[in-house]
Amino acid sequence: MSSVEKLTQAVMNGEVEEAEKLANAVLEEDVDFKALIEKLGDAMSEVGDKFEKFEVFLPEMIGAADAMMKVMEVIQPKLQEQGLEEKKGKVVMGAPAGDMHEIGKDIFKTILSGNGYEIVDLGYDNSALTFVNAAVENKADIIAISALMTTTMPGVGEVVEVLQNKGVRDQYKVIAGGAPTYQEWADEVGADGWAPDAFQGLQLVERLMKN
Amino acid sequence: MAYRLWQVMEKSKTGPIMEEKEFLQKHLVPKIAELVKKYNIKYDPKNPVPADDELADKVWAAAKELFLEVGVYNQDTNRVIYFTEDEVNEALYSAPSEHLVGEGKDARIFGHRKVEDERPPFVIYSPDITYDEQDFLSICLAYLKEPLLDGICAPVLEQYMGMKITSGHPAELGGCLHHAMSLREAARLVGRPGVFFVAVGSAESDAAQIHVSDPAWGIRPSDGRLVGSITEFMTNNAMLNKAAHYQQYGSFGGSLTGAIFGGYAGGAEGTAILETAYHLKGLIVHQCQYQQNFPFHLKHGSNTTRELLWVVSVYSQAIARNTHLVQDSNGFANAGPGTDMLYYESAAHSIASTVSGANLWEMAPCQNKHHNRGTPLEARFCAEIGHAVARQKMSREEANEIVNKLLAKYEDQVADPPLGKTYQEVYDVLRSEPHQEYLDQYYRIKEELAQMGIKFPF
Repeated sequence: MSSVEKLTQAVMNGEVEEAEKLANAVLEEDVDFKALIEKLGDAMSEVGDKFEKFEVFLPEMIGAADAMMKVMEVIQPKLQEQGLEEKKGKVVMGAPAGDMHEIGKDIFKTILSGNGYEIVDLGYDNSALTFVNAAVENKADIIAISALMTTTMPGVGEVVEVLQNKGVRDQYKVIAGGAPTYQEWADEVGADGWAPDAFQGLQLVERLMKN
Repeated sequence: MAYRLWQVMEKSKTGPIMEEKEFLQKHLVPKIAELVKKYNIKYDPKNPVPADDELADKVWAAAKELFLEVGVYNQDTNRVIYFTEDEVNEALYSAPSEHLVGEGKDARIFGHRKVEDERPPFVIYSPDITYDEQDFLSICLAYLKEPLLDGICAPVLEQYMGMKITSGHPAELGGCLHHAMSLREAARLVGRPGVFFVAVGSAESDAAQIHVSDPAWGIRPSDGRLVGSITEFMTNNAMLNKAAHYQQYGSFGGSLTGAIFGGYAGGAEGTAILETAYHLKGLIVHQCQYQQNFPFHLKHGSNTTRELLWVVSVYSQAIARNTHLVQDSNGFANAGPGTDMLYYESAAHSIASTVSGANLWEMAPCQNKHHNRGTPLEARFCAEIGHAVARQKMSREEANEIVNKLLAKYEDQVADPPLGKTYQEVYDVLRSEPHQEYLDQYYRIKEELAQMGIKFPF
């Protein structure tokens, strides 16, 4: 097995330390980094497909994403040197005020980061102003809000209102998700998109980033 | 009594400090995976209601080990709360096996049930979804008119005086008042002034829950309350505040937990272990007198799929066989009111739960997310089936056969279920009574279940 194949396998298995070691090793070899990135991307898609079919579960998906992020961190200087660094977009995400639940947001973060997006994770219990300030400070493209309770869903509409109030509504896309949420509600509160799960959330982000 | 309330307060301030991510990913997740292997616990899709005592006992042993070794994380103090095996055993020994809940002629025994117990389940009716504010009293009346209702967790309000009820905002306090007072009014109007409430679902914050404790117009000591926690094995100061208030006010505390299939617990095996372990968290950390279980599917948000029915059956049996704790099983269906699928899902959940030793908390339709889409009819169906299953002394093997037949009728529609109708379409809102068309549907499907082997008492 080649070192690239070993590295890809370590990422798929979620072996963070082994992946870091192998990534450092490939830096010393005459490797086609463009091909390596494509191979790692395919590996993450394969883990994602398995998770979507529930052939693997969240812990395995998080392990693979953590390993992938570690590899990217190690090889980033080489990618910059070769002009291969691809910036897909930056997403500020979190749970709204009063919501202490993070699992939906964590899954979405895992899927997006595994697919090359830069994430600013605000955690739980964030005011609308916190979301907006973080988006401005980090020059984000998208604000993603995950609400798990009906009493915290209004937090999404408040982010839209704060953006409007600051006159920056058109600079950020606001998307929402979470167990009690649905499309008609998202339309009503003025969000730019809604997805029923993290995988469709990735498709939504890809769509919004193209527009 | 509350189990050593003061010790829990102390431990939550003195336990070892840890990052939340480390607790989840380095302690909880690997421990669950390790215990699944150690106890050789295996999901069997052919038997959504397994008749396997050894499996139930292994899940119990794994759950106790999980609770003892991993502890519970306080998100506010960033500390882990641990208990010794002696403390856990003392709490299990000293917990009552039944409670007299509600008041006067409406009081009922809410108690522990055994596997294949012939005593009917205690049935709490609840749609667990939001409704239009102007129809709230009508919906409360519709539920409270149900003869087999032992307790009610009312429909949920989304607005108060036209304002969105938002966690931590004063509108949440107002919404809570509206909820509690409407429920109390409805109970009196139908002639059940002492009926057991589990309230109030329109609020999340500790302040709002404490706000409605009042023996005259609000939530009484004879009622039930909830400490809800979804994130795996977490607590926080707001949850501990609720727990302390409920015990010091005198209400029956309920631990509301939902292990997520596909989430940190992994597959069906880990989900069953985690949901079983939540009983210890509820009993000891959140001081609760009963456990309300709603494990759910990460993608569908329901628990009527094949894997989740297995989870429901296994943890219910684990608790029923190894403890005398009081537990109920909270149904989450995929389809909406007025659809045949919702009745099939409701029946499967009620049968699997009842024969496995659980009480019932039924039924949240439409993956628990579509406004106004829930009626008392599906809860009535669950209650009538639960009573029938217990009275006829149905075995787990018989239940398994019927549940498999029911799954064959709906499991291919789980990913894209019919949303059905709203309460306002299925019911005459003024009279709080179902339209004849939907009653005809009810009796048609009841007859179908009778043909499958359910011996309804009436």
